[in-house]
Amino acid sequence: MAGVSMAPVVTSVEAPVEAPVEKGRPDSAEQVRPDRPWITLVWNDPINLMSYVSYVFQRHFGYPKEKAEKLMMDVHHKGRAVVSSGTREEMERDVEAMHGYGLWATLQQQD
Amino acid sequence: MATRFRRSRGGVVVTFHPDEAVVLRSLLHQLEDMLGGDEPETDEDIDPLAAAVGIGGADEPPADPALARLLPDAYPDDVEASADFRRYTELGLRERKRAAIRTALAGLATPGARRTLGADEAHAWLAALNDLRLVIGTRLDLREDAERDDDAMEEGDPRRTLYDVYDWLTLLQETLVRALW
Repeated sequence: MAGVSMAPVVTSVEAPVEAPVEKGRPDSAEQVRPDRPWITLVWNDPINLMSYVSYVFQRHFGYPKEKAEKLMMDVHHKGRAVVSSGTREEMERDVEAMHGYGLWATLQQQD
Repeated sequence: MATRFRRSRGGVVVTFHPDEAVVLRSLLHQLEDMLGGDEPETDEDIDPLAAAVGIGGADEPPADPALARLLPDAYPDDVEASADFRRYTELGLRERKRAAIRTALAGLATPGARRTLGADEAHAWLAALNDLRLVIGTRLDLREDAERDDDAMEEGDPRRTLYDVYDWLTLLQETLVRALW
């Protein structure tokens, strides 16, 4: 087992992970409207453990266990969940932190 | 006995089984190398001031899908904003991930001995184990709604071993989450 390699496996066809695309995106003029808050979204993926995702939400955002688990279930069942909202700068910090934990997070201005 | 993380009064305790420590060390070194790659090739490409504050990363996602999964785009529908975000954050993110790997590797120096992990070391392990699973899971093309195909694979298929390693890392990470929470 020590010789296990994580190099790309040639027997499988590598499909690049595509960033989720939001349909009906507002045009750029609308995007900079300051009155709408920014949100951090966490997207479902088949690898992150449900227990781990809940733990990260509780630890990073300080959410109570119930809220962290509800958000995790939303990610799992609905494909994504809004985990925080605020200024663009705040959301960029949250997204960067989520990437540090290995969660698939993005930010955008609220619809 | 298989390696497991457990909660104790002093923190999280673990005894790395010597055979498993060999595998973990190999995987963590590979992950550290992956995260260290793709950097500017010559010193002249680096603005020292920018590098000092962690700026100067790439502006496109890595070509390797597994590495791209570790360093994803931040704006789903805005290439320019994603590129900006990446330039300012990717080097720091890579370095934090590598620091966690180095912490984990240091803890593997004495396999077979019971170790008590402080909060920082336990969280370094949590991040490193998760990143290993993200890379291997991406290599295996794991999907939410697809059946795993490892039972149908032939004996010599290298993916069979990767599936076994993935499942083992999943168990290990699960014991760590449980020990922390």
